[in-house]
Amino acid sequence: MTEEVKSDGKRSNAFVVSPQKRKMQKLAKNAGEALLLGIASFVAIIVLFIFYFVAVDAIPYFQLRGFTEFFTSTGWYPAGEPGEFGALAIIYGSAMVTLGSALLAVPMGIAAAVCLSDILPFSVRQYAKPVIEMLAAIPSVAFGFFALVILAPLLQSNGGPLLMWTWWVLAAPFLLLAVIVAADLLSARFAQEENRKKMALLLQSLFGILAVLVLYVVGTKLNAIEIITGTNALNVSIILSFMALPTIVSVAEDALQSVGRELREGSYALGATRAETLLKTVLPAASSGILAAVILGIMRALGETMVVWMASGNSSHIPDPWFNYLEAVRTLTATIAGDMGEADQVTGSARYHVLFAMGLLLLVISFFSNLVSERIVVRQRKILSGQ
Amino acid sequence: MNLGTRKILDNSFTAVGMGSIVVMALALLAVLTPIVYNGVGAVFFTGTIEHRTILYKEYGRGDAKTIETQTATAERYRGEAYRMLSDFEAEMEGMPFEASSRYRSQYAQVRAAMSSLLGPLPGDPTPMLTRFQYGQTRWEKAEEKLHEILYEKKWDYSDPTVMAKAFYVPRAEAFAGTMLAPLFGYLDRHLADMMQPEFTVYWGFFTDRSLDAHIFGGIWPEIQGTFFLAIGAMLFAFPLGVIAAVYFTEYAKEGFFTSILRSANSTLAGVPSIVFGLFGLAFFINTMKVSESKSVLAGSLTLAIMILPTIIRAAEEAILSVPKTYKEASLGLGSTKWNTIATVILPAALPGIITGGIISLGRAAGETAPIIFTAAVSVGSAIGIADVFSSPTPALSWNIYNLASEHEMACEIRHVQYGMVLSLVSIVLLLNLSAILLRAKISQKLKG
Repeated sequence: MTEEVKSDGKRSNAFVVSPQKRKMQKLAKNAGEALLLGIASFVAIIVLFIFYFVAVDAIPYFQLRGFTEFFTSTGWYPAGEPGEFGALAIIYGSAMVTLGSALLAVPMGIAAAVCLSDILPFSVRQYAKPVIEMLAAIPSVAFGFFALVILAPLLQSNGGPLLMWTWWVLAAPFLLLAVIVAADLLSARFAQEENRKKMALLLQSLFGILAVLVLYVVGTKLNAIEIITGTNALNVSIILSFMALPTIVSVAEDALQSVGRELREGSYALGATRAETLLKTVLPAASSGILAAVILGIMRALGETMVVWMASGNSSHIPDPWFNYLEAVRTLTATIAGDMGEADQVTGSARYHVLFAMGLLLLVISFFSNLVSERIVVRQRKILSGQ
Repeated sequence: MNLGTRKILDNSFTAVGMGSIVVMALALLAVLTPIVYNGVGAVFFTGTIEHRTILYKEYGRGDAKTIETQTATAERYRGEAYRMLSDFEAEMEGMPFEASSRYRSQYAQVRAAMSSLLGPLPGDPTPMLTRFQYGQTRWEKAEEKLHEILYEKKWDYSDPTVMAKAFYVPRAEAFAGTMLAPLFGYLDRHLADMMQPEFTVYWGFFTDRSLDAHIFGGIWPEIQGTFFLAIGAMLFAFPLGVIAAVYFTEYAKEGFFTSILRSANSTLAGVPSIVFGLFGLAFFINTMKVSESKSVLAGSLTLAIMILPTIIRAAEEAILSVPKTYKEASLGLGSTKWNTIATVILPAALPGIITGGIISLGRAAGETAPIIFTAAVSVGSAIGIADVFSSPTPALSWNIYNLASEHEMACEIRHVQYGMVLSLVSIVLLLNLSAILLRAKISQKLKG
C-alpha cells in the first residue's frame, strides 16, 4: 500500500493504513481472538472447578471414615452420636427409582420418537412437538408438587383399583395381539394348508381364554393391593419417567432421522411393512443413537432432586422384598438437598462432607455417562456418513 | 406369518407409537389441569368477611363502611352462638365433676374449631400469631371447619386385617340434653350470616406481601425473588454464552482442544442440578465469599453456570443457520471478519439467539435445587434491588417446596401453594410459548 500525503500535510487514513496502525489492528485482532478463546474455555474451566470444589469437600469424608461404610452399610444416622453414614440404601433408592422410570420411559420414548420421525404426517407433528417441549419446560418443583399433593393421595386411597385398571388397559391389547400372532405362527408351522384356518381359530380361542384368565387373575391380585403410603418409589418413578421422556424422544428422534432414506426405501422395496422396516432396519441402524438417548434420559431421572425429595418418602432403607416399588425410598439427590440445611451448621464434620461425597458420586456417574453417550453419537455419525 | 397378521402387527405398531404420544399429552393435561383449576382459585374465590377485614386492617384496602355494616351483621349472628357457648360453660360449672368431665374434652374440640372458624372467641386473650387473630377467609374452608364442629371424626379399628376407616359421629348426639345442643343446628343454618360470603377477586395475591408465613396475603416477595434470580443469571450467562458460541462457530479450528471444549460443554449440561447447588455453596459462598451467606448474587451465579451450555448451544445453532451467502457477501465487500460478525451474522442470528435466551430464562426461573444452598429462604419480605449482593430472597420454586412439605399448616394453605405453582408454571410456559412463536416466525422468514 502506498502512503498518500494530503496537501495540508496530514495523513489520510480513510483507505490506507500505516504500518503502525496495521500492527495495532493485528494486535487488537489477536487480543480479541484470545479474549474469545478465553471466554469459550470458561466452560471447561467451570467444569474443572466443579470437579475440584466438590472433590475437595468430599475427600475429607473418605479420610475420616474410609470407603467401606459409605458403600456397604445401610445405617444412615448422620445426626447420631457417633453418626453412621451408610449410603448403600440411599444409592439403592436412587438406582431403584431411576430403573423404574427407565422401564416406563424408554419403551414409550422410543415408540414416540419413531412415531414422530416416521409415522405422523407433518401437520400432526407440528402439534405433538410443543406438547413434548411443554412437558420438558414444566419446572421440576411443579411435578414434585403434583406427585405430593395429587398423585400420592390418589395412590394411597385408590392404589389397588388404579393398578388394576392400568394393567387392564395396558395388558389387554398386548395379550390380544400376542394371541393372534402366536395362533398364526403355530398354525403355519404345524397345520396342513387346508386345515390352517380352522387350526388358527382353535388356537386363538384357546389362547384367548388363557389370556383372559391371566388378565383376570393378575387384575384381582393388583386390585387387592393396599398401598400404605402414597409417597413411594412407584409414584416417583411415574413422574420421573415423564420428566425423562422429552429428552429421550428428542435425542432418539434425531438419531432416527439421521438414518438415511435409502435404508428405508430398500426395506420397503423388499416388501416389508412399515413396522417391519422400522423394527428390523431403521431401529437397528439408529440403535447407538437411541442408546445415547436412553443414557441421557436416565441421567435426567438420576439427577432430579425436587420430585424425589417431595414424593419419595425419604426413608433410608432397602425395600422388602427388594423390588417392592410400593415402599418409601430415599435417593442421593434428596439426601443432599434435605440434609444440608442441618449439616452446613457444622461445616467440616463428616456429616457435611458426606453430602459432598454423594455429590461427587453423582458427578462422576453423570460425567462418564455423558462421555459414553457423546462417543456413541460421534461414532454413529461417522458410520452413517461412511456408508 | 400371513398377510393379515402382518397388517395387524403393522397397525398395532403405529398404535403403540401414537399411544405413547397421547399418553404424554394426557400426562401434561393431568398435571396442568388441577394446577390451573386450583391455582385460579387463589385469586377467584368466595371470600368471607374475615378476608375483607384482613385486607382493610393489614393492607388498607376496601370500603370501610360496607365492611363495618357486614361485620355488625356477622357479629349479631355470632353473638347468639357465643351466648350458647357461655350458657353451656355455666351449665358445666353447675354439674357434678363426673358428669361435666364427660363433656370436657369434646367441648374443648368444639371451642377450638369455633375459634378457628370465627376468630378468637370473646373473653379469650388476643393471640400473638396473626394466623389465630382471624377466622376463615375462604368459604370452602369455613364449611370444612363447620363440619369439624358438627361431627366428630372417629376411627373404626374393628377389622384388624385392613387399615382403620374413618367415620363421623354428629356431636349434637353427644351433647343432647345440654344447653349446647341447639348450637349445632344454629351454626349449620346461619353459617352464611356469620361469614358473609361474597365472590371475591383478589388480584392482590400477586402483589401483596404475605402475612404470618403465607397463612394470609399474597406472594409478591416470591415472584420478585424469582425474577431477580432469573434475570441475574441471564445477565451473566447470556453475554458469555453468545461470545462462546461466536468463538465455536467462527473461530474454533476443529482439533483436540476444540473437542475438549465441546465435551466440557456437554458435560456441564449433564451435571445434576443439585451438584450445581453444592458447587455454588463450596465455591461462590465458602471460597470466593461473594456474600456472607446465601444471596441473590450467589444464586444467580450458580444458575448462570447451569444455563450456560443451553445458551451456547442455542446461539451456535442460530449462528450456523444464518445463510453462508450473507457472510460471503459481507466479506466480499471488504469488511473485516469481526465487522462481519458484529454487523451481519449476529443481527441475522439474533432472533434465534434470543429464543434460546428466553428458554434458558424460563429454566433459570423454574429451577430449585441450585438455589437451595445459595439463595433461597423460606420466609422473608421482598428485598430491594440494592440488597441483591448481600441478602437471600424467597423464590417461587423454593417456596412451593417449602409450603407443601415443611410448612406447619401445609394442608390449610393449599390454595396459596396452588397459586404459587400456577404463577411459576405460567411464567415458564409463557416464556417457552413466546420462544416457540418466535421460532415459528423465524422459520417462516427463512422459508421466504
